[in-house]
Amino acid sequence: MKFNVKIIKGLIAGLFVSVSVLSEVNAAAPDARTIVNNSLNLFYSAANDMSVNVKMRLINSQGKERQREMTLLRKDVNDAGDQHYYIFFHAPSDVKSTTFMVWKHAQKDDDRWIYIPAIKLVRRIAADDKRSSFVGSDFTYEDVSGRNINDETHKLLRSVKYAQRPVYVVESTLKRPTDYVKRVSWIDQETWVPLREEYFDVRNQKVRIFTADKIKKINNHYTVTERTMKNLQTGHQTKAVFENVKYDVGLEDNLFNERYLRNPPRKWIQ
Amino acid sequence: MLNRLIELCMDHPKPALWFIFILTIGFGTQFLKIKIDTDPENMLSANQPDRVLYNQIKKDFGINDLVVVGVTDHQGIFRTEPLIRISKLIDGILKIDGVITDDVVSLTTTNNVKSKGGLLEVRRILKEIPENDIDGILMRRAIADNPLLSEKVASADGRGIAIYVPIASKDQAARIGSEIKILAKDVLSKEQNFYLAGLPIAEDQFGVEMFKQMAIMSPASGMMIFLLLWYMFRKVTLILPVMAVSMITVVWGMGLLIGMGHTVHIMSSMIPVFLMPIAVLDSVHILSDFYDRYPGIGDRRETLRQTVKELYTPMLFTSITSSVGFASLMLAPIPPVQVFGAYVAIGIIIAWILTLTFVPASIMLINEEKLQEKFSHLDTKNTGLTKALQSFGQFVYDKAIPVSVSAAIILVLGFWGVATAVINDNPVNWFAKDHDIRVADEVMNEKFGGTYMAYVVLEGTADDDIKRPEVMQYMEDLQRAIEKDPSVGKTSSIADIVSQVNYVIHDSELSQRKLPKTREEIAQYIFLYQMSGDVGDLDNFVDYGYRNANIWVQMKQGDNLIMARVKDRIDKFVRENPLPIGVTFKWSGLTYINKVWQDLMVDGMMKAILGGFLVVLILMSALFRSVGLGIISMLPLTFAIVMSYGLASYFGKDYDMPIAVCSSLALGLSIDFAIHFMQRCRACLEKHEGDFEKATFIMFGETARAIVRNAVVIAIGFLPMVTSHLGPYNTVGMFFASLMLFSSLTTLGLLPGLLKLSRGRLWDIKIQLKNT
Repeated sequence: MKFNVKIIKGLIAGLFVSVSVLSEVNAAAPDARTIVNNSLNLFYSAANDMSVNVKMRLINSQGKERQREMTLLRKDVNDAGDQHYYIFFHAPSDVKSTTFMVWKHAQKDDDRWIYIPAIKLVRRIAADDKRSSFVGSDFTYEDVSGRNINDETHKLLRSVKYAQRPVYVVESTLKRPTDYVKRVSWIDQETWVPLREEYFDVRNQKVRIFTADKIKKINNHYTVTERTMKNLQTGHQTKAVFENVKYDVGLEDNLFNERYLRNPPRKWIQ
Repeated sequence: MLNRLIELCMDHPKPALWFIFILTIGFGTQFLKIKIDTDPENMLSANQPDRVLYNQIKKDFGINDLVVVGVTDHQGIFRTEPLIRISKLIDGILKIDGVITDDVVSLTTTNNVKSKGGLLEVRRILKEIPENDIDGILMRRAIADNPLLSEKVASADGRGIAIYVPIASKDQAARIGSEIKILAKDVLSKEQNFYLAGLPIAEDQFGVEMFKQMAIMSPASGMMIFLLLWYMFRKVTLILPVMAVSMITVVWGMGLLIGMGHTVHIMSSMIPVFLMPIAVLDSVHILSDFYDRYPGIGDRRETLRQTVKELYTPMLFTSITSSVGFASLMLAPIPPVQVFGAYVAIGIIIAWILTLTFVPASIMLINEEKLQEKFSHLDTKNTGLTKALQSFGQFVYDKAIPVSVSAAIILVLGFWGVATAVINDNPVNWFAKDHDIRVADEVMNEKFGGTYMAYVVLEGTADDDIKRPEVMQYMEDLQRAIEKDPSVGKTSSIADIVSQVNYVIHDSELSQRKLPKTREEIAQYIFLYQMSGDVGDLDNFVDYGYRNANIWVQMKQGDNLIMARVKDRIDKFVRENPLPIGVTFKWSGLTYINKVWQDLMVDGMMKAILGGFLVVLILMSALFRSVGLGIISMLPLTFAIVMSYGLASYFGKDYDMPIAVCSSLALGLSIDFAIHFMQRCRACLEKHEGDFEKATFIMFGETARAIVRNAVVIAIGFLPMVTSHLGPYNTVGMFFASLMLFSSLTTLGLLPGLLKLSRGRLWDIKIQLKNT
């Protein structure tokens, strides 16, 4: 009875379409920019500072893996979006004690420093490309440290349910296209957590997918403790687990300083 | 049984033709299922070890097939205007479907790391279009300072840039290439030249053009054959069946091949070209004999009966020997060659059956009065050709000894030519010299590191083996050794990345462009590179566990001979400098793979042809019930092969894939004349009580005419192929002509004298005489 199955499938599809059309009319929804802004704030700058142990598994299309283990410290500098990051690498073992610091500037290129323990040398890195890979993973620098809301124009597409949660589906179009031109986000209507993001390239092909796999409420901040970024072109993906997440721990200002790149602060790095 | 079938066809010509027609429609519909495969890699079976390794390497190192785009400007590329255009071109390429955008290497998509006063600057090579000459010069200098980029993204003379476009699959190369071409026409100015190179382009483009050529060349040859036949026989209704037989043979043969689920590969696409002349051969013998007999008999049915009786045995044997010759190709360990051999062999049997059924049935449908009327104007026997042939026959009969001696000398010269043959191939050279692909290949390889890729893979036994300092050092030494070969333009590996990072991190201090001594340093430089560069680059050079490393060898020439030379150089280096403990090495890459299948092909073809030769010799000895006659009958075939190959190598033509295939053609075509000549000569001898001179005189009547007609039809009929801009078609076209020339010349010029001289020594007709 293939025939009947087809009809039923058609009916179901029709039903879904009408539901999603209905749900587009949602008078209570905030405007797209506000939604994205709330989400960015939660995702990249919850609380004044944060300390976390991040374990990344970089998995290639063959299923082979590389590990990255680091302690990441973040402190917000001002409300404009300037932030300081300090990263200490624990693994792989042959790069242990490599440290990395980012001064993120909302209005100009970031400053980055790296300390190479084998030759005891600190180098400043000037890079204009926030879209390049972070430590070889599928996350870009921007994915780790956040993006500027003004880089994109935002449009609310619809309100739907995603993973049993009510979400806003927002389309953000880059003003100056990079490796992607368009990003569609599924943002939780209550927690502002981005549950899923899809990136489209200039050919309008989906090239990357972000998913928030596990969410915990820590110190009143909804935190994505497990996340995946998958590159659809190469089949490469990165799974990141956030452990020991702490907010408002009172990181000192002078921590984000070349001296601590050479001598990691024992207090914060275990 | 077949005789009854022939009678049946002559009794009921219309139903017979209808039956064949319906069968043809049936086979024809199979063409709808055609699957085309133009990948030379498929010359190797899917489980061939080198091919398995290549696929594994492509997976392990995330390597995609590359289309290389080149732009040159003789005024220099590093100026505002050309760079604006080039950056537009790259933007456009990134929009093309099937392009792996993340891994495109070019001025605007690849990072360069520069250092100054403790600052590492990571930026796109071309971040901002330079506004003046000085910025342009600085940019050029920055590229030259990075061995990972120089002669890769830009040429050393600053007049050319290259864009490396990885593609999702090789069979999209031609399509992506043509989209890039359109884009370039639109974006670039007249001062800028544009080139497309890379083996995938050549191979895929070859496939595309091959089918175009097939669509032009097959009808052109068909038309040519038709005109020649008309010139010889002057009656369209008698020629049409001959043409029909060759076409129906092709439809049945190819229909069967496609219907059986085989893909149409470079090899099998040649099947029609091979089947057409073979099908024509049989029919021309029938037609020729019919023309000679009909005026004397005046009854088509009786004439056909006599013709078929006369030709039945030689045709049976030519068909069996030819199809055995092709079937011998199934011994070659190359799947497409096996399929080719099998289906040509089947096609030959089809042609034989059709010649004996379709041609008589068609002739039965021709109005008897019209036929008689037509023939009353024709004098087939006393033409210039006949007179010339008879004096030629008399000459070779009288001067048997000088003719044989000179033939022997010529044969020795031919063997000498064969001995000097150079075995070599390069798919790019399948295109004519002025073809875009050849031109691009030349320019790109002159300006850049080389478009022919081979890989040397170092395999460790444990993860992180590649980070061992002594392994890194070995890799670098190995690269320097490979680079000594004049055809190797550039090599790159993870060792280059590590020493470049070392150089950059030490403020571009030249003395620091070297490999570090400790494992930690190496690991941390690789890590640093990952924080600043494009990740895909690294993956191309080292596998995920740092167990295996891949050295890219870019060669400026893709000839198999050169690949073999480079390989020998490395084998020697490794013998003299033992690999670090726990590390082994292997060769791979498309250029290497091409060499592998060539080795298999040359060797396999050689064995298959020798095997076929032996089988045919045995068959001939059985047919003539004499080993001596068997050997003599192989002479036209021997001459045809030896002289064709001898001449080819004398003119500097390498022994390549298309030439190798032609050797089977020789087995198929060149034996025919000898069989017809000797079989009919024997019959003639018996009839004329062993008077050899008289028999020779008769042989230089109808039989010689049929042989010459056949030789001319096939030699000239396939000459249009010589005009093709695809090498393999030229080769096949030339070979048809040369095989026909030498085998007909040997049959008519040498066999009569040799038969005369060897009679009573090598063979004996007297035993048979007693029977009559």
